[in-house]
Amino acid sequence: MVDDREVPKVRKPEPIPNPKRIDEGPRNFSHPAERAFAAVLDFYRIHWEYEPTTFPLEWDSEGNITAAFSPDFYLIEEDLYVELTTMKQRLVTQKNRKLRQLHELYPDVKCKLMYRKDVENLAIKYGLFEEPTTASEVSD
Amino acid sequence: MGAQALAHQAPPPLLDDIEEVLITEQQIRDRIAELGTQISADYAGKDPLLIGVLRGVFIFMADLVRAIAIPIEVDFIGITRYGPSTQTQGIVRLTKDLEINMQQRHVLFVEDIIDTGLSLRYILNTLQARQPASLRICTLFNKPRKRLFELDIAYTGFELPDRFVVGYGLDYEEGYRNLPFVGVLQEEAITRRRLPPNTQT
Repeated sequence: MVDDREVPKVRKPEPIPNPKRIDEGPRNFSHPAERAFAAVLDFYRIHWEYEPTTFPLEWDSEGNITAAFSPDFYLIEEDLYVELTTMKQRLVTQKNRKLRQLHELYPDVKCKLMYRKDVENLAIKYGLFEEPTTASEVSD
Repeated sequence: MGAQALAHQAPPPLLDDIEEVLITEQQIRDRIAELGTQISADYAGKDPLLIGVLRGVFIFMADLVRAIAIPIEVDFIGITRYGPSTQTQGIVRLTKDLEINMQQRHVLFVEDIIDTGLSLRYILNTLQARQPASLRICTLFNKPRKRLFELDIAYTGFELPDRFVVGYGLDYEEGYRNLPFVGVLQEEAITRRRLPPNTQT
């Protein structure tokens, strides 16, 4: 007997490339920390892309993406994604969860999360920010 | 250990800015002696060339070479560092090149501290292009949690927590290098030094 129950359409985890920018104008970074980090990478001759990939993390029963993660930077030679967060530690839980899901669903993808303290210490070390290091909170 | 307990070892005005001593002068001395012994054994008969990048490493290098009991040579390079004064000046470059040819030499690159690895990545690429017989890394202080790039570090003195530290060559805006220990810089000192001189109180 054939089982004709409807099978949920859960898609295989597959990264989605974001459209590449073709103009060379200033990028619209989400936060001054991202702009500052990009400047440091440029200084050290590290080739990077900004939010080049979206990783679907959760799907509904129809197979539609309900949660995804787009790390801020991709360091090309290192094959490494970097996500900056300037959120307070208590608000980072959701981002940590996304990172865990990313590692589970895409075990070959390397992604480094830089926490608020990491970003602040970079700011102190390199004198990065135009504003005080207690940067305003942002969410993605 | 409180900073004031080491008042006889450092200039008092600097001590006022230190929240906590993390690694004492004696601990540093003992660990460098161990590193020197290990390096002497590993590089026996290889006449290694020790290379450091200015300026933070000069104190560690001076103590390390005196703890090594085999023939060595020492050279330094300098690179531009990213900072407020370099933000609009392009890319990292050498400000001082080596004076000793390192081709086919066993090179030990000596660092005071490795955290993100950003500058070290550039330096290692530069040195590797000069075809050394071998190239390994020795760092006195390591902050692995902050690393962006995977690095194979042959010799590590101490692992540091994720706090902003100064002393024993480590600076904040060129200050505090001369502290004989490693301590956590007070937030107030960071804020004060970040202000333009004419706005400091």
